[in-house]
Amino acid sequence: MTLAELVTEATAASVGLSADECLKCNVCTTVCPVARVTDLFPGPKYVGPQAQRFRLGVDLAPASGALSVVSSPDRTVDYCSGCGMCTTACPADVKIAEMNNRARAASRVAHPLAPPVRLRDWLLGQTDLTGRLGVLGAPLANWSLRNRLVRLLIDRVIRIDRRAPLPRFSRHTLRSRLGGYRRSAWSADAPPPDKAVVYFHGCAANYYEPHVGQAAIAVLERNGFSVIIPPQVCCGLPLISNGLYAQARGRARSNLAGLAAYARAGYRIVGTSTSCTHTLKAEYREMLDIDDADARLVAEATWDISEFLLDLHEQGRLDTNFGTLDRSLPYHAPCQLRSHGIGLPALDLFELVPGLRSIDLDHDCCGIAGTYGLKTEKYDIAMAVGEPLFAKLRATGASQAACDSETCRWQIGAATGARLVHPVEILAEAYAAARP
Amino acid sequence: MARADVAVVGAGLAGLTAAIRLAEAGARVQVLATGHAATHWSPGGLDVGAVAGARTAQEAVNALAQVAGHPYRFLADGLADAVAWLRRVLAAEGLALVGELDDPLGAIPTAIGSTRLAAILPDGMAGALAPWQPGETLVVCGLAGFRDFWPDAIAASLRRPGSWRGRPQPSRVEAVTVELPGLAGRRNLSGFDLAGLFDDPAWRDTAFDAIARAVEIRATGSGRLALPAVLGLHDHPAVLAAARARLSLVPFEVALVPPSVPGLRLFTALRAALRRQGGRLQLGEAVHGRIASDGRVVELRAAGAAREFVLSAGSVILATGGIAAGGIVAEQAGGLVETVLGLPVDGPPAGSRLLGDPFDPAGHPLELAGIRTDAHLSPVAHGAPDVPLATNVRIAGSLLAGQRYLRERCGDGVAIASGLLAARELLGPAEASRP
Repeated sequence: MTLAELVTEATAASVGLSADECLKCNVCTTVCPVARVTDLFPGPKYVGPQAQRFRLGVDLAPASGALSVVSSPDRTVDYCSGCGMCTTACPADVKIAEMNNRARAASRVAHPLAPPVRLRDWLLGQTDLTGRLGVLGAPLANWSLRNRLVRLLIDRVIRIDRRAPLPRFSRHTLRSRLGGYRRSAWSADAPPPDKAVVYFHGCAANYYEPHVGQAAIAVLERNGFSVIIPPQVCCGLPLISNGLYAQARGRARSNLAGLAAYARAGYRIVGTSTSCTHTLKAEYREMLDIDDADARLVAEATWDISEFLLDLHEQGRLDTNFGTLDRSLPYHAPCQLRSHGIGLPALDLFELVPGLRSIDLDHDCCGIAGTYGLKTEKYDIAMAVGEPLFAKLRATGASQAACDSETCRWQIGAATGARLVHPVEILAEAYAAARP
Repeated sequence: MARADVAVVGAGLAGLTAAIRLAEAGARVQVLATGHAATHWSPGGLDVGAVAGARTAQEAVNALAQVAGHPYRFLADGLADAVAWLRRVLAAEGLALVGELDDPLGAIPTAIGSTRLAAILPDGMAGALAPWQPGETLVVCGLAGFRDFWPDAIAASLRRPGSWRGRPQPSRVEAVTVELPGLAGRRNLSGFDLAGLFDDPAWRDTAFDAIARAVEIRATGSGRLALPAVLGLHDHPAVLAAARARLSLVPFEVALVPPSVPGLRLFTALRAALRRQGGRLQLGEAVHGRIASDGRVVELRAAGAAREFVLSAGSVILATGGIAAGGIVAEQAGGLVETVLGLPVDGPPAGSRLLGDPFDPAGHPLELAGIRTDAHLSPVAHGAPDVPLATNVRIAGSLLAGQRYLRERCGDGVAIASGLLAARELLGPAEASRP
């Protein structure tokens, strides 16, 4: 066994073998948003640690072909949305969601899906490709994706639900509008790490919501940071959650190649998509078994933007000269943000803005879970998961709400008609409202 | 780095009690916990004490307060106030507790057909508390397809002499199983799933109709009806009211295996109270800290996705539970370790631990393991009872040494009394004089 294989095995075991700690107490089932609304998913305990005993052969002997046919007899794991609430709630520290994610990927290999669904899952993972094409032909693409006939056709053929909240393509990418910014790969003449940060915009800010990226850059610059935007591709999360680990590893390698030099030089990598930053922090290691020095450096250098700004504030370095925003602002903390283990930094930042009264909507998951709620067979489940959240938001009567994850924003916006913004957009607005 | 006046480690009854009280008094409180636990496994009432010879919970508490090294010797005096305080907090969140410390301990039927002694129970179990009168029938009602509650086995066991611990018992025990609408063909349902169904007003009306019809065949006259504890989660008071209105027998809930629905109700109410007071709760990772050379703990750390979450705190309450909850772990080499600060654990010597009879009526020696404290709940070393090991740390709940919370059934009483005392200690003398 090579050293690399040994590392791989140890990593897999840290997720897979954590099943051994399971007390079967079913706490995870009580926090599972999916099991709460459908019988199609029996609950995290059953498909996770309980089924894991049938899968351990794979994790214990990744190098021996003989055992690789062992896989879970239970394919309901496909209905896990990957929100991660189970892992958070487990009193015994079992990595339930991570276990289920790996099991789904293994199950896709052992039991391939029907070709149209396979195409769908592949397509949902190609966010860079669809993003680039969509921006290129934005008027046509946006018209088609809002045409009921086209959506019906897509629904029937590849099973993306005709009602699912697909975002609108921007007419330009964020990167194309950043002529003045340092977009190149690593070079040593960048401003020093205490004066500059690396921005990981992810697909959402690049192809759909450049205004979020622009708000982030404005807020970072306001605080005296130069913003470096090195080459980057999709973080790989849509591939990971659709079980396409091999492709996801390719994305991870590309990103690590672009980011590791900065991390090594002490730069912090700041992202506006809380699911991208979580992928850089944890999923390359926990799902993709990429656990080399570069991956660790990048993970440790990566910050969710609210986490970063709150840290600046704790150091007394955040410009708190915010203008008054006299309004109530409902806020949804995405499931992905909770997996960071950083608290709810956006709420702390909102407290710094005069007049702003944030309302924590206090719901576990909006249902979308990345690409889960887009799928025809899962759309109704996703809407049922999010319904209590939608009801709470409607009850506030607010026309605007904040949330750190783009797919959640699209889901909640589509379900409620409210205008969903990233917390950094609120901060940018508050800076703009400040008296000079 | 996040900041709090007080960091509370552990989200069980002790930790949440302390956190709510501190937040109520205006402190910035952050609760950190590995995950959910104690409340989700609890039957939802307050076990404050039940020992041989005690007629009431208060008598049991008084007896335990005389036991050398028992936490009640510091806590017994504050218990009545603690019960009253918790009752107020829970009532404000719509959860009622019935029974008093001075009421006789009742023999409460369990889901395995035994009984346990208790005096303070959630309203849903109130029907089990009143002494049985001659001629009363108990009907144990199961729900077809629900595998965590077997009425025939429970009834057979409750008919055995001795099951009622010498307390008054029903004249007759009957069993019945009811088919509820819409359950056929569904997946293996937990009590948690059924509670969700009962929250739906239309569904529960049909369900209570079905239960009423089935029960009327079995029992006439006065009696009570034992149902699995699944009568709603979010809308429990309304479900309970509907059950009482529709059923001729007095209904009461019987606590089930985890996840316990009454325990979830308790947690939900405590969490709501904490949020209402502005306290915070973060779950996910085990917490670690260090006692600095000046005898203070100034920060706690929990693993995050990539970096540790660091919480800077003025003071710390450890309410991580005993050996059963992970606050103390046994190492393979034999030592007992307190997991957050590495405080010295007072417990049975390594070699003797596993030799004890697990069914010894006196309890297992490991139950006694825990952290020794002074009367202010500051941790102390075994040989130096007057020298706090950390000046800004207080210990609450099952982590306290010297209790056999399974055997003595004192865990909840110790949890709330120590949670409130710990909060009072940290709030200072001005606050301490207030009730």
